[in-house]
Amino acid sequence: MAQLTLSGIKKGFGPVEVLHGIDLEIKDKEFIVFVGPSGCGKSTLLRLIAGLDTISAGEFRMNGRRMNEIAPSRRGIAMVFQSYALYPHMDVYENMAFGVRLMGLDKAEIERRIADAAQMLRLGELLKRKPRELSGGQRQRVAIGRALVRKPQLLLLDEPLSNLDAALRSDVRLEIAKLHRDIQGTTIYVTHDQVEAMTLADRIVVMNNGRVEQFGSPRELYERPANTFVAAFIGSPRMALLDVERQGNRLGLPGSGSLSLTRLPQIDERELVLGVRPDSLTITTDLAAEGFKGSVIYTEYLGDNTFIYVRLGNGTLVSIRTADAVELAPDTPVVVQVLPDAAHYFSRSTRERLAA
Amino acid sequence: MHGSPLLARRLWITALIVPPLAFVALFVVYPIISAFAYAFFQWHGLARGEFVGFANFYKVLFTQPYADWTVNAFLNNVLVFFALMVLQNGVGFLLAYFLWRELPGAAFHRVAVFLPVVLSTIIVGFLWKLFLHPLFGVVNISLRGTGLGSLAQPWLGQEGTALWALIIANAWHMVGFPTLVFLAGMQRIPGEILDAVRMETESEWVKISKIVWPLVAPSATIVFTLLFVGSFNWFELPYIMAGVDGSPHKATDVLGLYFYRTAFGDQSGSGQDFGAGSALAVLIFMFIAVVAGFITFRLRAREIQI
Repeated sequence: MAQLTLSGIKKGFGPVEVLHGIDLEIKDKEFIVFVGPSGCGKSTLLRLIAGLDTISAGEFRMNGRRMNEIAPSRRGIAMVFQSYALYPHMDVYENMAFGVRLMGLDKAEIERRIADAAQMLRLGELLKRKPRELSGGQRQRVAIGRALVRKPQLLLLDEPLSNLDAALRSDVRLEIAKLHRDIQGTTIYVTHDQVEAMTLADRIVVMNNGRVEQFGSPRELYERPANTFVAAFIGSPRMALLDVERQGNRLGLPGSGSLSLTRLPQIDERELVLGVRPDSLTITTDLAAEGFKGSVIYTEYLGDNTFIYVRLGNGTLVSIRTADAVELAPDTPVVVQVLPDAAHYFSRSTRERLAA
Repeated sequence: MHGSPLLARRLWITALIVPPLAFVALFVVYPIISAFAYAFFQWHGLARGEFVGFANFYKVLFTQPYADWTVNAFLNNVLVFFALMVLQNGVGFLLAYFLWRELPGAAFHRVAVFLPVVLSTIIVGFLWKLFLHPLFGVVNISLRGTGLGSLAQPWLGQEGTALWALIIANAWHMVGFPTLVFLAGMQRIPGEILDAVRMETESEWVKISKIVWPLVAPSATIVFTLLFVGSFNWFELPYIMAGVDGSPHKATDVLGLYFYRTAFGDQSGSGQDFGAGSALAVLIFMFIAVVAGFITFRLRAREIQI
């Protein structure tokens, strides 16, 4: 079991600070995903938790015990690396046995644990092979096996799917989800792929520029993004973010007309950001209808859905999802409407969410 | 014409291959073979006498005083090889490890360790003769200056210390080479593998012996082989520092000096025997070729693809 508390974690490399004070409270048995664009600090944060890099400021506690100065091998943490990092000169069995031997377990226990892991990960046939004789997916399973035999309180995975081909990726993703349930431990998973984050996580930490933008369940992130960064990062295609001006209960988009919406945020600010997901927008060719005017760029037919990309009068590109197989030629003038209750509002100055 | 491009190509290849082949044949293969041949003849100065079969080999291996000299020189070479294995390759490995771990000052030390390698052996020999001078040498002066004057001694002048002094001078000179090769081998190890080890142990010893050392084995093959060849061909440094007689009292005599003396005469120019010298050269060559081949073959087998 592992319950983690990170308070005010900072990390600098020389004069450059890459993490600016991270506070997180992670519960036992949770599956946590760190997600964000490259360079956001998610892998750095993972390495600080592992102990591979030292924490510049702040405190990391695991089950109440301060970890900052504890060596990585004594934290009860196992890690699966992006490149798998198997020892090239050892066969699969030795790769898994290396760490547990150093833990001082007796021979029978080591053999039992490796047999269990081999069975769980379907490695039985491969135990005598060297890493270079394995496929990418097999190496990955060995890397996970090597982590599991140590029975860690906390399992860290650093972009584990990024070296696999697309077909394998969703299979392995399911396996990892199942593994987390089976081993009953706490897992932290780093990825830049929001789909992986949404499908795997109990809670997601969205990071950007060395800060946590939002920490919550996939559903919270999708339904109540805390700011425009999270709003745009979670969900595909992206949420449209429109710089609108408010006049009473009307929202105007320069060069595109205006529309009225109920339940606007109770705030004096005139300049807002209106966020709408593709499935909350509708489109009509009735140019007299109330809404934002624009013209069709491109229609993408996907069978069950059609995405229509429209450039609005102020130049913003929005995507609209419809279930009907509408066919609109490029340059068709259209009016885009927003479904009531589906809009998100953000402050133009702070980019923070405004309560409706 | 149908065959002409092919013919032109063949001419080109011939023109490129023949000159270097002729050069190697004339200046490498021919001398080796003639040394082989010389070893089977009797020599009167530089004039070839009659064919004597294996008499020259028998002479250097089984008749006195040659047999004792041969064994003495060979054993000295063996000592040099094992001592340098520790002092040059062993220390080189440790230096490489420290440089690789980027301890403070690594950038400076990387240059400092390698600098002596580019010095000429002549310079190194004279430098160390000065260092080790019984009266004015920096070694004895330092010992006296630090109250260890009782340890000051004529390092190159006594049988017990002379060979070791040469070994240390050689290790100082060449330690940068294995360091560089090992360092390159270490830098090939992916960072994530080292992180993976750190997740499993904090013991530096386990890390070196179980992970780093096996993974730099490919570098070790070349370093070991070259050290073996270098140790048994050792000539310049003993020649410069101890002289052609391997003084004092043949304590620093090695196969290289012994061969040279036998073939071309000692300090006084006497005792020249080209036949016995050639026989020694052939024996040394065969020994080095066979053992070096064996080392390379055996060590290659345990090299690892990263």
